[in-house]
Parts: sequence; C-alpha cells; structure tokens
Amino acid sequence: MNTKHTVAVTVNGKKYTREVVGHRTLLRFLREDLGLTGTKEGCGAGECGACTVILNGKTVNSCLVLAPEADGATIETVEGEAKNGKLSNLQEAFHRNHGVQCGFCTPGMLMSVKALLKEHPKPTVDQIKEAIEGNFCRCTGYQQIIESVLDATGQLKPKTEEMRRV
Amino acid sequence: MLKNLTHIHRPSTIEEACALLAAPDCKNIALAGGTYLAESPDTTIQGLVDLTGLELSYIRETGEGYAIGAMTPVQDIFKSKLLKGATGHLLKSAAGRIGSTLLRHSITAGGNLVSVFPWSDLPPALLALDAEVQIRKGIPKRTIPVQTLLEKNPRDFLDKAELVTEIHVPAYGATTGTSFTKFAKTANDYSLVTVAVRITVLQGLIRDVRIALSGCTKQPVRRQEAEAFLKGQTPTPERLANAAARAAQNLELTNDFRASKEYRSEILPVLIRRGIEDALRQIAA
Repeated sequence: MNTKHTVAVTVNGKKYTREVVGHRTLLRFLREDLGLTGTKEGCGAGECGACTVILNGKTVNSCLVLAPEADGATIETVEGEAKNGKLSNLQEAFHRNHGVQCGFCTPGMLMSVKALLKEHPKPTVDQIKEAIEGNFCRCTGYQQIIESVLDATGQLKPKTEEMRRV
Repeated sequence: MLKNLTHIHRPSTIEEACALLAAPDCKNIALAGGTYLAESPDTTIQGLVDLTGLELSYIRETGEGYAIGAMTPVQDIFKSKLLKGATGHLLKSAAGRIGSTLLRHSITAGGNLVSVFPWSDLPPALLALDAEVQIRKGIPKRTIPVQTLLEKNPRDFLDKAELVTEIHVPAYGATTGTSFTKFAKTANDYSLVTVAVRITVLQGLIRDVRIALSGCTKQPVRRQEAEAFLKGQTPTPERLANAAARAAQNLELTNDFRASKEYRSEILPVLIRRGIEDALRQIAA
C-alpha cells in the first residue's frame, strides 16, 4: 500500500500541487510530475550535483530530498533563468566563455552559482570553487566555468592576445 | 527506495515526535537531513517523522561552551561566526570536510552523529571535544557523553522513542589546540583515515589530550592508552611519534576497495603524529 501525499510547491514563482507517493524524490517530482526536465539526474546518490536546485534559498541535491519534505517550499530551477526566450546574464556568461560543453552539469552548476551570487555578488575564485564543489563537470575542466562566473560578475580580466589564439 | 513508506509526519513539538517514534503499530523513523534515508533500501520503514518543525536548528553560547541543535545543518557549523577558539576550530574543520556544499546544506549535526557511518566526519571531532548529547523521550531528558553514545551503534543505544535534540560542546582556553585531518582520495570522497586531536599544554607539560579516529574503523574510537602515555609529559618529537604508534595499534582496521588495511596501518601513525603536532602548533598560533 502506498498512501499518496499532497505536495504543494512554488517553482520559479509558479504554484504547483500534486499527489505523490512518499518515496518520490524532489528530482523525480520536478521532472516527471511537473514536467520540468531541465534539472538532470546523474548519479542519483548526492555525489555529482547534476540535480542541484535551490530549495528555500539553499542549494541541495534534489535526488536526496523526498518530495513530501519539500511541501510548502519555494524552489528555483534552471527553467527560471531564461525569460521570454532570452538567456539570463549568467547563462549568457556561460555561453560566452565556453562554460558549457555537453551541458549535462550546467543546470545544476547555474543553480549553485545563482545561490552563491545572492550571498556574494562579487565572489572570489575560492568562493566560486567552494560553491560548485558538489557539481561535477566531466567536459570543460572547470576553468571556463569559473571564468564564466567572473565574467557574469564583471571581474574577468581581458585575455591577452596570446591566450586568445589558444 | 523506501518502497513501503505510507506516512510522513510533520510534528511541531519534541513530545509529539517522540510519541510518533514510539508508535507500536507502525515503524516510524526520524527524518533529519534525509541524505541517507532518501536512498535507503529499507523496505520495513513505514513512516518518517520529519524533525524540521521542531526548531532544533541553532548554535548558542552557553556557560560551558556551545549548544548545537540536532537539526543544525553542518554548513551552519562550518560557516559559524559564533564558534571560536580551539572548539570552533575543530568543529568547523570537521563540518567543512563533510561532503560538498550541497550535501552540507542538508546534512544535520544530529543526523551525522546518530546515523554514524565510518566516513562521518563530525563524530570523531565531538569525541575529541568531550561533547555530550541531550536525549529527549517526550518530556523526560537525559544527557550522556558522545563517547557513550558511540560505544555501539547509536540507533541501538537509543530507545525507539528517544531523540537526540542537542549537542553540548565545551569551550577550551588558549592553552588548548585542536586539529582535524581527513585523508581521502579526493576532496569529496569518503575518508580513509580521520584523526581528531585536542591537546592542552601548561608550563611545557601535556595536561590533557584526546585522540579520536574514524574512517579506518567500524565506529569512531578514542585512543585512551596513547592519551595516557602523553598526559603529564613533555611533548618531545620522540614521545609524540611513540604515542602516535601506540594509538595506531590494536585496531580492527577497515579493509575495503578504497584502501587495504595494510595501507591504512601504514598511514595511520603518520597522520596521528602530524595531527598532534598540528594541534600543538594551534596553541602557539
């Protein structure tokens, strides 16, 4: 027997209410019950950060949160970034600096950085590294991601001509 | 996972939570940060008692040191401005090494202690600090040393209706130094060996010392024989090395895919010695 639980959440400013089984994770709830498939499942065990969302202001692995735990919560996901088909400043910066390669980690990466920028509008490289320490990227190697964040916050120094050629 | 979960309770008082945990007809389990439970393969669990509403997320100064609510996210310990001195150094060093920023937002102080795993980082620090826990069973409460709680599995130690609600950590003065070492293959990986040390030196003599280990043993352990060997003595390099070697002996070391027990036994005395040396340097600093 699996009793259904009512879960009411606000995701990217929009209210949703659904009935779910108790063991439904927040990740599955977002993807399969709300159709918000921007948030990805990587490891499903809290290691890779592909499923990062902002839950009541804090970044969490949504694969390790049960949907009923999030009842009443305010959630931010990657779908809240672009508005009217226009990328957010952060997304633009990732695009400009090649902070995206295969793109699988990007939704989680963006949420970790978004939460960081709320607390530290001009983060240092160390603060950026700490914020994304739980987000694995297996393509770009992090340097471009860090540069994307520096660029988004107006801190990226212009590259020398020599570096441009590389 | 948790395929047979039928109830999720959200009590607003400790009394209510304990009553739910005591329910004879339903296997209810306390839900703290949920990082372990969300993926738990346990099909016997029927209900979860979500502790979020109990207002147990806080760090307060007390007459003796600090009181940390069991539901305090370990990230709050890591970033705390209130925790200071030797106690603050050890607690923050341990909390900061737990998982990633994402996990630290979910993992709670109480959960990391009660659901102790070989790789849990807070328990050895709490052992080294002589911390105590407050346990509630409805209105009745008792306070016991963390060491007693960790002598066997805390879940077996606690009565079904009992809940760890608060951790009491003493503050130590300027003559005390602490050190936390987590030796792992990557920054986010589980520990192969964890060493937590607290040492007090007065007039050139070691007055008090604690050496706690985890990661390499089934449960976090204190090394009392090595502590006794150091107590009242001058901290010479030879004595520290000798104490570290003693602390690494007579242990049933973990042998798994991360590291063999032979490898762990090689690095253990080195890490313990460095831990003691680091704690001594913290006094000077």
